[in-house]
Amino acid sequence: MNQHTDRPGDTNGDGHTDTSRDMHPDGQAGRRTGWHMDDDLAVAYAEGRLSPTTAASVEAHLLACASCRGLLAPQVSQTRLDRIWVEVVDVVDTPAPGPFERLLRLVGVRHHIARLLAAARSLRLPWLAGASLALFFAALAAGETTRWGVIGFLALAPIVPVLGVGLAFGRGADPAYEIGLVAPYSAFRVMLLRAAAVLITSVVPALVIGVAFLGQTWTVVGWLLPALALTSLSLLLSRWFEPVQAAAGVSALWLTGVVWTNLHAPSLAMFGGAEQLAYLIITVVSGVLLFLGRREFS
Amino acid sequence: MNVVVDDLTKTYGRSRALDGLSFSAGQGVTGLLGPNGAGKTTLIRLLATALASDGGTIRLLGMDPAKEPAAIRRRLGYLPQETGYHRAFTVFEFVDYVAILKEMVDRRARHDEVRRVLAEVGLSDVSHKKIRALSGGMRRRVGIAQALLGEPALVLLDEPTVGLDPEQRLRFRELISRIGEDRTVILSTHQTEDVAALCARVVVLKGGRQAFEGTPAELRALAEGRTWLSDQKAGMLSWRTGDGLFRNLGDAPGGSRLVEPTIEDGYLLLLGGLPEEATR
Repeated sequence: MNQHTDRPGDTNGDGHTDTSRDMHPDGQAGRRTGWHMDDDLAVAYAEGRLSPTTAASVEAHLLACASCRGLLAPQVSQTRLDRIWVEVVDVVDTPAPGPFERLLRLVGVRHHIARLLAAARSLRLPWLAGASLALFFAALAAGETTRWGVIGFLALAPIVPVLGVGLAFGRGADPAYEIGLVAPYSAFRVMLLRAAAVLITSVVPALVIGVAFLGQTWTVVGWLLPALALTSLSLLLSRWFEPVQAAAGVSALWLTGVVWTNLHAPSLAMFGGAEQLAYLIITVVSGVLLFLGRREFS
Repeated sequence: MNVVVDDLTKTYGRSRALDGLSFSAGQGVTGLLGPNGAGKTTLIRLLATALASDGGTIRLLGMDPAKEPAAIRRRLGYLPQETGYHRAFTVFEFVDYVAILKEMVDRRARHDEVRRVLAEVGLSDVSHKKIRALSGGMRRRVGIAQALLGEPALVLLDEPTVGLDPEQRLRFRELISRIGEDRTVILSTHQTEDVAALCARVVVLKGGRQAFEGTPAELRALAEGRTWLSDQKAGMLSWRTGDGLFRNLGDAPGGSRLVEPTIEDGYLLLLGGLPEEATR
């Protein structure tokens, strides 16, 4: 049976084995399409061995031809049908994730990690928008040539990730904390994942806003090491205190230090070379202690 | 026995929440009954591996929670007393989130499991709804659904029926009794009706100690011959009923109009200071 113009094999130009050579032209659909499936084609289709083009052609024919559907039905294994059904149900029945989760998946974050991150309050739009707005105004003020202008931006930029991390996990910030506490998934891992995500979502806007308003000066990056130091320190302290409290305490200490220094020492004394080295040391030491005490978080 | 607790103690500062508690529980629903502050939630949190004890031993599913917490957690379902929910998540997303915390990483298998537990608690139709749009009863069902993820061998439910209306409570009882058919369920409650309706065994806590362990029928039997009606207030505990008579608990005087006691009568006698020999 080879005389028809729209049979599946005719459109197969991709090198796949064409199993649609023998077809029989009878029945209503046969009169319209000019061909029917035979056993070999039905088996090949049922086993998923046809090329996508040929399979599409077969499917178009099956929609119009009851006799071919009848021929095909016994060839499809129940296991495959069940698997296909599960896949269909999963696609149709699973709610679409929120915009932040979709964005995370778009940039390559695995689906289950994206969901773990999306549960954090400080990784949701209201927090991200609020933090960006605060940085925007701080950068605007930094353009002024007053004693407090640049300091305001340098003082605020490290606090945004610290508070964000504090609000990303722990009893006070996570409504389902108790359920997560007794789940087998590592609480330490969840904490680090969210801390990393908060750092990225805080640092990038701060850098963009800094460059946009302050130009390419050292001020734009002068807060980076303090941010890392304060964040790792507050993570370490969350072994003993609620994360929100640890973050608030560290932030208050930082602000006090910046204000005091600005009043009693050269304005940018907290951001000099030796100080930056100290922030690096705090980051490394806190990180090591955090890792050594990771079991305490579970 | 899937749960064996021996001489368990837990102290918060100067307050001793559990004081030498011992009991055991096998398959089926075991009720933890006691007034507020009796130590029920502390005990449930210890069994859930959310807390560490100060003394005594716990064996859960044949394992020591101090040594093998992760292995226990993989076979545990837990509904805390004050369950919080990520309100911006849909029902499906929240249960899926907990499934991820339960180490179900394969997306399709996890989604199947989420759909299964939502069907089991009758929430399939609202799986796309935001949690914040649900009623209190529906949220409790979401809590139960997450506790059933992964077909746990041990399910801990802390006050699951608090705040539910009678119809919702009935639905919960149906659900919990079904869950208990092939699992060990520990149900903490201060509702004697829940115990009467659901539990094969009951443990009564009082001041962090075990005041009673037995069947609901045995708890009710504690008030046999100690429950009577009278025109006047009498007995150790007494209250006026709807028909104007007083229902009295305690040692009944001769010629009293004795009535069939309830589990609540036995429970109240225990809490009210039943003579120790009567509980043996």
